[in-house]
Amino acid sequence: MSGPVMDPRLAPPFPKAALPILQNTQLRKNVAHATDVIQTKRNRLVAEKTDWQELRTSAAAIRAHVLANLATYLDEFEKKCTAAGGVVHWARDAAEARQIIIAILQEEQATEVIKIKTMTSAEIQLNPALEAAGIIAIETDLAELILQLGQDEPSHIVVPALHVNRQQVREIFARRMGLPQLPDDPEALTAAARTYLRKKFLSVPTAISGANFLIAENGSVAIVESEGNGRMCLTLPRTLITLAGIEKVLPRFSDLEVLLQVLARSATGERLNPYNSLWSGVVPGDGPQRFHVVLLDNGRSEILGRKVERQTLQCIRCAACLNTCPVYRQTGGHAYGSPYAGPIGAILTPQLEHMRHGQSLPYASSLCAACYEVCPVKINIPEVLIDLRAKVVDQEREEVKRWTDPMYMGMKAANLVFASESRFRLAQWFGRLGLRLFTDKDGWIRKLPSLGARWTLSRDLPAMPDQTFRNWWAEREGRGGKEAR
Amino acid sequence: MRASLFITCYNDTLFPQTGRAVVRLLERLGVSIDFLPAQTCCGQMHANTGFRGEAFSQAKRFVQLYRDTECVVIPSSSCVAMIRDQYPGLFEELGNDDLRKQFAALLPRVFELSEFLTDKLGVEDVGAYFPHRVAYHASCHGLRGLHIGERPFRLLSKVRELKLTPIANLDRCCGFGGTFSVKNAEVSTAMLDAKLTDLLATDAEYCTALDNSCLMHVGGALHRRNLKMRPIHFAEILASTEGVYL
Amino acid sequence: MISNSRQMILDRIRAATRSETNRYDEISRGYIRAGTLDSNGRIHLMTERLHEYGADVVECAPAEIRQAILRQIQLSGKHKIVIPPGLSADWLGEGVNWLPDKDLTHDQIEACEGVLTASSAGIADSGTIVLHHGTEEGRRVISLLPDFHLCILYASQIVETLPEYFSRFPDPPRLATYISGPSATADIEMTRIKGVHGPRFLSVIIVRDDS
Repeated sequence: MSGPVMDPRLAPPFPKAALPILQNTQLRKNVAHATDVIQTKRNRLVAEKTDWQELRTSAAAIRAHVLANLATYLDEFEKKCTAAGGVVHWARDAAEARQIIIAILQEEQATEVIKIKTMTSAEIQLNPALEAAGIIAIETDLAELILQLGQDEPSHIVVPALHVNRQQVREIFARRMGLPQLPDDPEALTAAARTYLRKKFLSVPTAISGANFLIAENGSVAIVESEGNGRMCLTLPRTLITLAGIEKVLPRFSDLEVLLQVLARSATGERLNPYNSLWSGVVPGDGPQRFHVVLLDNGRSEILGRKVERQTLQCIRCAACLNTCPVYRQTGGHAYGSPYAGPIGAILTPQLEHMRHGQSLPYASSLCAACYEVCPVKINIPEVLIDLRAKVVDQEREEVKRWTDPMYMGMKAANLVFASESRFRLAQWFGRLGLRLFTDKDGWIRKLPSLGARWTLSRDLPAMPDQTFRNWWAEREGRGGKEAR
Repeated sequence: MRASLFITCYNDTLFPQTGRAVVRLLERLGVSIDFLPAQTCCGQMHANTGFRGEAFSQAKRFVQLYRDTECVVIPSSSCVAMIRDQYPGLFEELGNDDLRKQFAALLPRVFELSEFLTDKLGVEDVGAYFPHRVAYHASCHGLRGLHIGERPFRLLSKVRELKLTPIANLDRCCGFGGTFSVKNAEVSTAMLDAKLTDLLATDAEYCTALDNSCLMHVGGALHRRNLKMRPIHFAEILASTEGVYL
Repeated sequence: MISNSRQMILDRIRAATRSETNRYDEISRGYIRAGTLDSNGRIHLMTERLHEYGADVVECAPAEIRQAILRQIQLSGKHKIVIPPGLSADWLGEGVNWLPDKDLTHDQIEACEGVLTASSAGIADSGTIVLHHGTEEGRRVISLLPDFHLCILYASQIVETLPEYFSRFPDPPRLATYISGPSATADIEMTRIKGVHGPRFLSVIIVRDDS
């Protein structure tokens, strides 16, 4: 079985990637169940919070403030982290980040590395690079472990294995952990993972983490999690490498009073995540005695410079937009061809790819704005989607194939039509005539050619009425008006 | 009171009965209606598909056409959302100061139909009669774009003999999304299937909404599957009285 | 090369944010900072939240800490308990194998059945135990590896809201762990399972120093 392609440079366009998934009823059932559960919890906990909108407003304001002053805060973070014994590295792009991390691991003579779930690591395709360098990456988040052992790919930012059910997990664990008798209840499966990973936690001396927040004020890093695998990785190894996007910084420790509240409620429907860990640099006698932070740009500074798109970087990766998105709920994450799925992925991925890949993603939305409504940092995702669509169309305007693209030509023609009343009337007249060819005797259209066939795939269309509204109005005015019908 | 009806391009062409219903309804409530024949499209389709310059030219046309009217009524929440949410950005980027000023002056006078009834006219009971079970589909642009809230429910609750049947997952999109329904036809269809499941569970005779776009989508699938439920625009229900159905 | 990237990234950021004024003190802070509950109310809420997470909660008077600890440990059925080096000797009763953390190895800690620690704060709204890992709370590892965590929390340490915790600690701690329930996962079919890697059993003694 060939797995889903999660590299935006290689992945098929969204509509095509979605096709096999739409046929996979089991996967869709798993996705719908999981998103329902999280969303119900989230809604309940948001409803109990009487100051939810004020928290959102503050969270958005803090994130926007950081972005407007990003250089200052990164500089401060670097100084404080270094003073606390950490080593700060800067990576322009994915390749440089991989190179830095591998160099550190080689210096540590690492053959294995334990990992906390990190989106940024998936973004830079770290695991294949580690493997190529002869270093075995061990994912310690339960969901990531399921996917790693099952040679599958994540389909959600917070619960990456939500598309896999217990029987599938049992099969993977039984095969890969050598436990043929393993039952399929989640308790037993979790226990099996605990035993499997315990040995790794106690023996592997190097770890890689992401970061939920970097605190400029004192150079500390914050990680939120549920399982305790994070605490293990942050505490037991000799050496820790934290990979973080440059946008992750917060001005002060106390800003967490806003962000932790909105993150936990939005991500998992909890008042706070079971575990939040914070540390500054190296603390003698407690935890890793060598600590590196890799600050990753990889397109972010470019996004920062775009007026509408900058808000993309406010994201705190809670995935509330995925859970509520009616598109994501049908397709799950794999159709997005990127570790970042759902509405946030649809705006983030093409931008991280400098608009050279993933151009179908901004169109993978009905613009229903459910994402904007739940976003705890008020990212107006529909607005960004529309702006990115304009950038995609601006690319199309330069391409020769536009002349044969029915959507492009249709849009250009429609624009000419809408620019003049007489042309609009004429188009209505021709439209009625043209549609008549496809209209059945009962006044319904069941099959259209070209782009129209995409509509009639599942929807009939009523025939065009004999009289447009404007003609009826003109006729009525002619009769002296003011009389219904 | 005078109101200028912006019927919208697709209602004009495909759903003239909705326009007729708006005229009947508003005239019954004592509003004089104007119809400017030079009107075409608000530019939403172009804007949402990424044709920004094209959308701008239509937006400009709209403002220039309506800048001197007392108020504009639009029986389509998504077109109103286009005007409120997207015109400012378009004009800031591509327009000049004159246009921005004209638009700022016009904007408070642009109403979606149910807003016009409840906010401008201050009526909830429009004297309608519609003896049927009706499911109200909340179009995304009305719900989250215009924050239309309870307005449609207040209006429907005063329609005599109408029985409103609540629909599960009211806030979920039907999968239309303009060109999305064509560009991502399969995903759009899957979303539509989910919406139909919720709709059919209501056992309503009619599905109504503020937007014929959603209704064209839902109605197209209802017809494809030979189902009895029928789509009907909100205005057509409110325009109905004893003996006169639209 | 690395310093080169640093300069390049910061230059790009500065170019993208040039001439912007967005001041920290202008960030809107309309959310609820202070709670409204009295001490009893806070303890009640804290207890309720801890129960929701499946944690065990008992109360005791300041003079009864030692007995309360012994009782909770007896109830847990654990014997070998690791303790932070700075923990008050008054707390440690007879009949328990107390193991002070003096540079214990991970394996030695792993071999313990439980851990007893003090705490820095409790946040009632979320049922959160805050550890700043001072000498009475110990290194992070001791409250991580053992399966049973017994935690002493004074009533006077309990705040109602998360912002109140932050106002109590204006100087950021070097280390912090916020525990809001035992280790858990919902990664398999969203079924919540307790105890993946962290301690599976959390027991809290609230010391009523408030009356």
